[in-house]
Amino acid sequence: MTRHLPDAVFWLLAAGLLTAVVLWMRQRRVTAVVRSRCDRLADGIRSRDDEIRHLAAVRLPAMEESLHRPAEVPGPLDELLARTDFGKGLQVVAERFADAAADARARAERSAKAALKTSMRSIQALANEQQMFISEMQERHDDPAVLHDLLAIDHANAQFSRRAQAIAVLCGSWPGRQRAAAPLDEVIRGATSRIRDYRRIRIAGQVDLAVVSRAVEPVVLAVAELLDNAARHSQPHTSVEVSLQGVHNGACVVVDDAGVGMDSQVARRAAALLTGRRGVDVTRLDDPPQFGFPVVGVLAARYGFSVSVDTQSPYGGVRAVVFLPSALLTQVTEEPPPGPADEGGERDGRPSASAAGDGAGPPEPTTAGGLPRRRRRARADEPPADPAGFPGEPEAADAAEAAEAAQPAGPAGRAADTADDRAARDAARRMGAFARGTRTGRDGEDPRPDAPRPPDRGAHHDQAPGDERKGRG
Amino acid sequence: MTAARRRKAGLVRPYVVTDGRAYPSRNTLDLVTLLVAVNGEPLTGLSPEKRRLVELCRPGSLSVAEVAVHLELPVSVTKVLIADLMDSGHLVTRTPIPPARPGNGRVLQEVLDGLRALL
Repeated sequence: MTRHLPDAVFWLLAAGLLTAVVLWMRQRRVTAVVRSRCDRLADGIRSRDDEIRHLAAVRLPAMEESLHRPAEVPGPLDELLARTDFGKGLQVVAERFADAAADARARAERSAKAALKTSMRSIQALANEQQMFISEMQERHDDPAVLHDLLAIDHANAQFSRRAQAIAVLCGSWPGRQRAAAPLDEVIRGATSRIRDYRRIRIAGQVDLAVVSRAVEPVVLAVAELLDNAARHSQPHTSVEVSLQGVHNGACVVVDDAGVGMDSQVARRAAALLTGRRGVDVTRLDDPPQFGFPVVGVLAARYGFSVSVDTQSPYGGVRAVVFLPSALLTQVTEEPPPGPADEGGERDGRPSASAAGDGAGPPEPTTAGGLPRRRRRARADEPPADPAGFPGEPEAADAAEAAEAAQPAGPAGRAADTADDRAARDAARRMGAFARGTRTGRDGEDPRPDAPRPPDRGAHHDQAPGDERKGRG
Repeated sequence: MTAARRRKAGLVRPYVVTDGRAYPSRNTLDLVTLLVAVNGEPLTGLSPEKRRLVELCRPGSLSVAEVAVHLELPVSVTKVLIADLMDSGHLVTRTPIPPARPGNGRVLQEVLDGLRALL
């Protein structure tokens, strides 16, 4: 029995060993599997970490940036991961973020525009009101020193008003003032009025075209911005040349400066802004804000003119060309000069002899300025229809002039001096009646005109001015 | 639709009209100074306001006040333009003849005698 014991132990040991080996091998296999799985899972977690980090550090900032300027937004790092639920979840997060950012931006811009527009409107109104006061003061004060100061204030106010207007236009508002149609050269000079260096602007060329009422203020504003740009980007001692040209289907305003010019990138950007097609984001103008080209672009697109700045000026700077189509233009009607028509009498420096005389007649035709239009003396000098034909009549006007120049000879003359219209008219009427009376009386008793009759001579002397006035009326 | 060529109030500001100057080169002008255009002076190179001013005075004389109203400019601004035009020889001025002193019997008598001699 004891002899078999070692065998049994051996077999047991062998079996145990076998089992152990089998178990060990299995264990190893299991361990390897588990380990590789662990490794895979760890990789997965790492790649998710990377993906999250990539989203937070790269993709979301890029999306944020792409709202303001065209930029490429990178996709997920791991294409395989993107197909998993996790990847899809991340994509949803990214999209929601982009939507929210765009929405926030739109809202911010809307409220910024609304706030700016309202405040600029009120500032514009105040500037216009101030301009009115300044104009009134310019009318009221005759002192050159006061005028000097007023001109400076006026100039500052005009620039101030233009700035407010430009911002309001960018915010989608109208340029503000409604004006009557104005000749193109006036419009350009109006634009010149609005910029700082107005003395450097030289305007050449004559175009007999006017800008229609609704386009006056927009064109003034757009040209003012171009002139301001030109003046600002050129040396202070150089001039900015503006030339006006009538072209086949419209008119061109060419602004040349002798400044630094624009490099190709800036020129491309300017051209894009000037088309006015891209909306302008008031919250993201450069710092300091560059209003010029965006404003011109918005106005050009809205009112249908076009502006290009892509040519080089012969002076080395930028050439800006504003093309106004015929739809924005109209013809200028030349108003006849309302000047005096008096050839002879006025030349010898007498104060307006018609001051009292014109009052006796029907209402005078008036000029645009509200002044009575002068008429030819010749008409007034026609002898009145008097059958008796008083011989002194043709000289009556001359006599009246002589008498007036020497001395205001009677009540009529004094009335003329006071220039009181009504009094003069009454006096003229009375004197006319008196003269007619004396004349008929004299004609009745003595047909000989040259009979020396002193009292009549006196009457004649008195009669002349009144009669002359009568005749003029 | 046509537009009258006439100053639109407020479009061109006075400092552009006078090129920034407020002091006329002479102070002999007042509201009733009469302006007479010198014929034959070329108008080239003049600003639109100056050209219009000379054209206004061409047919006869006008006072400073009348010119200012026709140009729709303040009188003080008009004076700067007028002084320039006098310097450039486009305009001459005449001061209005002061009203004669009344009661100068001798002059009256001479006028009367002259008239009698004529008739």
